[in-house]
Amino acid sequence: MAPLAYSSEKGVYLDVQSGSLMGLVHASAGYEYTDRHHVMGGLGYVPKLDEHREMGLASIRYRYQNPMQWSFAALDRDWTIKPFNLGIGLLYADHDELFVSLPEQYPDGYYGPTGLRAIFNYQAIVQFDASFEAYLDISVIDFGLAYYIREPDFFYENYDFLGLDGITNWGVGMRYWF
Amino acid sequence: MMILNKFKLKLVTIVSLAIFLSACQFEISPWATDVNCPASVSVASNLAKLEAFEAQQGPITDYKVALLSDPQMYPGAFEDVIKRINTMDDVSFILLSGDLSESGLKAEIEWTCKAMTKSTKPIFAVIGNHDALGFGQEMWLSVFGPYDFSFTYQDSKFVAYNDNKYEFDNVPDRDWLQAEGAVNAGEVRQNTIAVSHIAPWPHDLELSQNFKDYGFDLTVHGHEHDFNFWQLSDVMLPHYITSFTKFDEYGILTVSGTDLSLENCKGGVCTPAAPRTITN
Repeated sequence: MAPLAYSSEKGVYLDVQSGSLMGLVHASAGYEYTDRHHVMGGLGYVPKLDEHREMGLASIRYRYQNPMQWSFAALDRDWTIKPFNLGIGLLYADHDELFVSLPEQYPDGYYGPTGLRAIFNYQAIVQFDASFEAYLDISVIDFGLAYYIREPDFFYENYDFLGLDGITNWGVGMRYWF
Repeated sequence: MMILNKFKLKLVTIVSLAIFLSACQFEISPWATDVNCPASVSVASNLAKLEAFEAQQGPITDYKVALLSDPQMYPGAFEDVIKRINTMDDVSFILLSGDLSESGLKAEIEWTCKAMTKSTKPIFAVIGNHDALGFGQEMWLSVFGPYDFSFTYQDSKFVAYNDNKYEFDNVPDRDWLQAEGAVNAGEVRQNTIAVSHIAPWPHDLELSQNFKDYGFDLTVHGHEHDFNFWQLSDVMLPHYITSFTKFDEYGILTVSGTDLSLENCKGGVCTPAAPRTITN
């Protein structure tokens, strides 16, 4: 079966995600600027919760979309699974208790930014229409990746799935291609 | 055969993802505060553990305390040091002088907690300046307990205090330190030892004199990521700073009655430490 084609080969899309460190909801505008290479810019939000302060989020992200895909028919429609996609992004949090530029009371270089993190992610994408696709996102924060690379034995011994259980988070999202 | 291989690849990928997903957490952002650490790392839990140990042990005059600090960014190295301390029968407990995280993030605290749970000895954590970043203060209170606390072990009093001046107002609480230093009527006290993340600040060296006046015999700290040991010539109260655990470095405090001695350790090798006397 031939894979589903997008409505436009290279185009613009709207991406809405929840979880995977990007906020309760995170809406992004995406663009496939060349074959397999995507960039996105977005805004997210976390309401005040028992375990989270209210905050706004902003992101810029890049994703490499591997051409490998599997197509099949089910439930009276064609589906295409794109299982191997990797991304990296910068996530900014807007909150009074976090900072990007060091506040005045600290000496130069005393701390790195607390309100800006690099996020690395994997996505498994399911396309079920020429314009719609959904995805599962698994992410890891910069510290998690760095610690895992530096001290893999610590994670192997303390967490499941080669220690990845200790550093990964999941979320879901959808995209609409214009 | 090709079709079978493709089918197998799909099946393995989907099943692996499903199993892996069941173990992953749905995390809204890196700045969540519902930190998942066991109660066994709290000050209250470790106080109970130490009391039980002391009751079982009976009165002794000689024992050791392991001084660990700044495990942030290297939870594996920290766990290795803890496992080493576990093998030292003469060490009664561990004082952990802060900076359990680099940026006050939930995930970082959880990794350090995981290492702390490997300790077979009571372990008391004192808040560091990095722990107070972001929403770290809130998580510290929920996981470990109060910033300032004290306990008595074998007639020596250990007083943990917060002196992270950039992150907190009006620290340290000198009135509380004075009250903790005072020996109550009928109390038998061999030594009074303070512990915090940061040693008396250069612009607040009066604190050294305060400690002396309050009856303290020694203060121990971290923060500097290297060993240091000093006393002011006009005060002569020793302030010991232990290194960070990244390179398997830690301090050992030996208590022998009212004699206090310190060693700088790397791996299993320890060398005696003596304070430098510096002019204020």
